[in-house]
Formats: sequence, structure tokens, C-alpha cells
Amino acid sequence: MTPLLRSATLRLILTHLVLVAISTGLVLGFLYWRVGGVIDEEQRAVVDAEITGLLDDYGRDGVPALAAAVQSRLATPPDRDAIYLLADTSGQRIAGNLSGWPATLAPGVGWATLSLYRTDRSHPTRISARSVRLPGGELLLVGRDVAARAAFDRTLGRALVWALVAILGLAVATGWLLSRLVRSRIAEVDGAARAIMDGRLDRRIGLRGTGDEFDRLASTLNAMLDRIEILVSDLRTVTDSLAHDLRTPLGRLVRHLEGAADDGLPAETRQRRIESALGEAEDVLATATALLDISRIDAGLGSDQFGDVDLGRLATDVSDLYEAAAEDRGLRIAVRTEAGLMVRGHDQILALAVSNLVDNALKHAPAGSIITVSTESRDPHAGPALVVADQGPGIPEADRTRALDRFVRLDPSRSGPGTGLGLALVASVARMHGATIELGDNQPGLRAELRFPAGRGAEV
Amino acid sequence: MSRRILVVEDDQDTQAYLAKALREAGYTVEATASGRDGLVHAIGGGFDAMVIDRMLPDLDGLSLVRSVRAAGIQTPAILLTALSAIDERVNGLRAGADDYVVKPFSFAELSARLEAVLRRPAETKAEQTQIACGDLELDLIARTARRGDRRIELLPREFQMLEYLMRRQGRVVTRTMLLEGVWDYRFDPRTNVIDVHISRLRRKIDAEGEQALIHTVRGAGYKLAAAI
Repeated sequence: MTPLLRSATLRLILTHLVLVAISTGLVLGFLYWRVGGVIDEEQRAVVDAEITGLLDDYGRDGVPALAAAVQSRLATPPDRDAIYLLADTSGQRIAGNLSGWPATLAPGVGWATLSLYRTDRSHPTRISARSVRLPGGELLLVGRDVAARAAFDRTLGRALVWALVAILGLAVATGWLLSRLVRSRIAEVDGAARAIMDGRLDRRIGLRGTGDEFDRLASTLNAMLDRIEILVSDLRTVTDSLAHDLRTPLGRLVRHLEGAADDGLPAETRQRRIESALGEAEDVLATATALLDISRIDAGLGSDQFGDVDLGRLATDVSDLYEAAAEDRGLRIAVRTEAGLMVRGHDQILALAVSNLVDNALKHAPAGSIITVSTESRDPHAGPALVVADQGPGIPEADRTRALDRFVRLDPSRSGPGTGLGLALVASVARMHGATIELGDNQPGLRAELRFPAGRGAEV
Repeated sequence: MSRRILVVEDDQDTQAYLAKALREAGYTVEATASGRDGLVHAIGGGFDAMVIDRMLPDLDGLSLVRSVRAAGIQTPAILLTALSAIDERVNGLRAGADDYVVKPFSFAELSARLEAVLRRPAETKAEQTQIACGDLELDLIARTARRGDRRIELLPREFQMLEYLMRRQGRVVTRTMLLEGVWDYRFDPRTNVIDVHISRLRRKIDAEGEQALIHTVRGAGYKLAAAI
């Protein structure tokens, strides 16, 4: 497992934390600033209203009425933070809870915040106030003791800091949990991959049944592993078959040559053994050539040499090549073609495929029977086809797909003639040309149909 | 004067075998294992033909042939390859090689093809209308064959085979050469299809009591000749 500091999840979580801290800080800071502002505005509105009310009293009955109003407001207990001062022209207190007009305050300048002695307190307190000079020269000050407000600010600030800490703590905790979850799921995949690298190809990643992204990833990976396992076992079959198909003739070759090396042998016998050895070498070469051809065709080599190929001519030419050999075995090749059926393809590779089909038919058809090589284009949607049909034993339906695999010889002893690669090569050629190869029943016999894609060839 | 052949082949055994067999066949041989050496020799000139391995450790055969052709040298070249002939042959010919032999090959195959590339220029000289070999005559215009007084009925493909053999009379023609020359197929069908065609042709050409014209060359192929 990766060290914690290099873990991608940790980095993600740290980034997440920083972002959470910044955004929470901004929100709480804004809150702090706005709450303070709203309280200030409200207090100022109250003070303004008080001044308006007191000025009304003054307007009605002059200074005595004003002084009485101030007294009565101070005497009504609830608002302990209200500050009033009515002073005469020289700044001496007439009424209110401040000892005297503050020397530094010029009246009528609007809002001011300053430290003053209240008559009911022994310490100076912070006061925020507005003052006016009355028409008679007296001075009026109305304000609020803001000491409580500062305390409120501190409390609010502390609360917000605690909220920030709590949010960050939560973020750290969820991050840690998340990281543990991700790391444990990744560790499962990691473990499975390592097990597979160690050769345990059947190991799969465990699913939790939650259907989440990790489960989906795991099931995709498992499907991929299934596919790989099949491919590997296919490859193993091919390698085993290859070993069998090469070692057997090579073993016979060695035996023939050992036999030929015997000193006391008549020249004729020796010659026969050497010829047998050459025959075995030919078999090995045929297998190697077919395998090489298949792998090159599968790799798409030669597709740069594609041209227009006349399907009818292809059928005629290949049949013509095998016709003499067929007659030697008491077989007849019947060719039925249509003119002008063109397909895109590699002439040599297509001829190789068709010759494999005809060769196959030749090997299995009973003497006296007919092998048919024909072209077909009845269905305009399906594209043209080349069909090779014989009257031999055919291939049972269950084996037809398997027959197109490499090294499948339906005779289990693998002793019949041929490399077992003929139909596999035809299948590769079909894939290369976007065509399909279909094995069917000729009643009796095998019917191999190489069908090309529709609309690819130029109709001439 | 004996013909000079340049052999570029990195496998020591194959090189030694080729050089020995070519010398025994009457050629003068210069052999090297390196593509660069081969290029220097080829450009130095004085060779009648080159036999070049397709895969060499330093400079591959295709590039070698391409460089030689780029230098304006038209010495006939045969590529030897372990790769499949089906698509590689085209690459070889595109690079400027004259022929292509797939490994493993018999010396008879290489020798027959070497003969062919060495004689090629002479063949194209005249537009022949008739070819003869002994008392066998081929009319290339009427597409008919006759041996002495006997008219021979040939299928079109049989006529093509006979024409191919007669144009190369006295020389060995291998099965793959026939397959290429007559059917234009570059793959080996691995069955005796050509042999069957030849034996049919032979039954028509060499009737009872006539001197045999089509000869089997053991381990190599066939030869059409009035006298061996």
C-alpha cells in the first residue's frame, strides 16, 4: 500500500479541507460583520427616535420639560444601556446619567464614540452617542453604552471560531473515513491484480453488492479478467496443440534420420528413410507456414494491397488448379459462377482461402462425388458469397464453430491428414475482409460459405 | 566467363551452403554476412545477380535493394525470406527486387529462379509467334500445339503451362514457378496439384513411342528439353 503522504486520497482530502476552511471562514466572517452592523444600525435608529421625541418635549415646554422627560426615561428601569445628558450652555449637567459634558465633544457633529464616566458607574465606559445644541444654547446628548455590545461581539466571535473548528473537525473526520474507504477498496483491486500477476488467474475482485462506482469498476475489471483468462487458456490450447503438431512429425523425422544413419543399411532403404524424413519436414513446414500466414493475416498485413477481385474468376481459377487433382481421386469439381461480382480484397490471400476450402473438400469427399464451387448474389442486402460444398461426411452442427478455431481437428486422435489450420486460416481471411465464414449442411456434406459485406464491391 | 553472384546472408551455414552450391553450379561467388558490406559490394558493381537475405542484422534486405536501385544499379536481385510470401513478396518487388524465395528453399528452387532473372532481358527481345522444341511446335497466335503430324488438343490452362515450359526450355522450372507463372498464385497449396497437371500434360505431349520432352528433375521440378 502507498505511504500515507503519497496517497492520492490524502491529497484530495487536504485540498478539500483547505477549501472548506476558506469557504466556512468567509461565510462566518460575513455573518460576524453583518450581525454587528445590523445591531449598530438598530441602536442608532433608536437614538435618533429618542432625540426626536426629546426635541418635541423641549419644543412644547422648554428645558424643564426636557429635563423631566430625561429623568423619567432614566427612572424607567429596563434599558440599562441608555445614556442621556442635558447640560446648560457651560456644559454643567441639568439632567442625565453622565457627570458632565465631555470636554472633547463638540455638539452637533453626529456620531461619536468615546470613553466617559457614568454617574452610576465607577469606571469609564465606552459610549456611542449623538449630541445636539438646543435653540436656547443648552446641550443634549443621547447615546448607548457599547460595553455590552463589545462583549456581544466577543461572544459572537468566539462562537463563530468554535463553529469553524467544529466544521473543520468534521471535515477531517469525514475525509479520514473517505480515505480509509477508498484505500480499502483500492487495496482489494491491488491485491487481486497482484494475485493474478503471481499466476492465480482465477482470482477476482470482491463485490460489496452496493452497486456503487467501485462495484461497477470491479465488475468491469472482473469481466476483463474473464476474457483474459479465456484468451490465455485458448493460447495454452494452441501452444499445446502446436507442441503436439510439431513434436510428433519432428520425432518421426528424427527416427527416420537415425534409421538412415545406420551403417549396414542397403542404399535403397536408406534412401527411403531419408525421403520419409523429408516428408515429415514438409509437414512441419506446412504447419509453420499456415501459422505464420494466419498471424500475418490477423495482424492485417497485406490490407494495403487490396484491390477489386472478381469473385467468379477467383472461383474458376482455384477450381481449375485443383481440377486435375480432383479427377485423379475420382472427384469432379462443378463451377457455377456469375459474371461481374466484384469484392474488395487481397487476390492472393483470397485465393489461398478458397484453395484451403477446396483442398479440404478434396480430402473429405468420397470418390465419385461432386464438389461444387459457386458464387451467389441473390440477396442484395447480404453481399455476394463464394460457396464450396462437398458430399463428404460434413461437420456435426455442434462442432461447426469449433472447427474454425486453430488446431481443431475433429478427429480426436489428430492423425488425419492436414495441419488442422485450414479452416482457421479461412476464418482469419474472412475477418480481414469484413466477410463471414459459415459452415452449413450440404445434405450430405459440408457447405462452406464465404460471404462478403454488402455494397463494398463495385458492381461491374 | 562465369557469372558473378553476390550473396548477402548473415546465417553462416546458409551462406556457406549457398556459396558452395553456386560455385559447383559454375558461378563466381562473393559472399558477405553484413548488409552494409553487401551494399558497398553491390554499388561497386561487376555482379550479374544478387541473392539477399530479407532480414539482416545491420541493414535489412529491403533497404539494401532500395539503396542499390536508388544508386541506379539494375543488377537482378533475389530476396530470401522466412516471412510469408503472400504479402511480403509485394513489398520485395516494390523495393526493386526481381524475385522472392521463401525459406527454407531447395537450392534447385533458387538456382532455377537465378537462371530466370539472369536470362530475363533476352526473353523480352522478340515478339515470338511460334516456339519449337524438337518436333513440338506451339503457335502462339492460333493457340494450337502440334507434335510432328499429330495435332494436340490442349485446354487453355494446359496451353499456358506448355508455353511457360517452352519459353524456358532446357532450364529447370519449379512447381512454385509454374504456380506463379501460370496461375499467378504466390502461395504453396502443399498438395501435388501441379504434379497432376504436369502428368496430364505429359500424357498429351509425350505419346507412346515418342521421345519424352517433359522431364522430371528430382527434388526440383520439371524441364522441357528435346535432349537431356
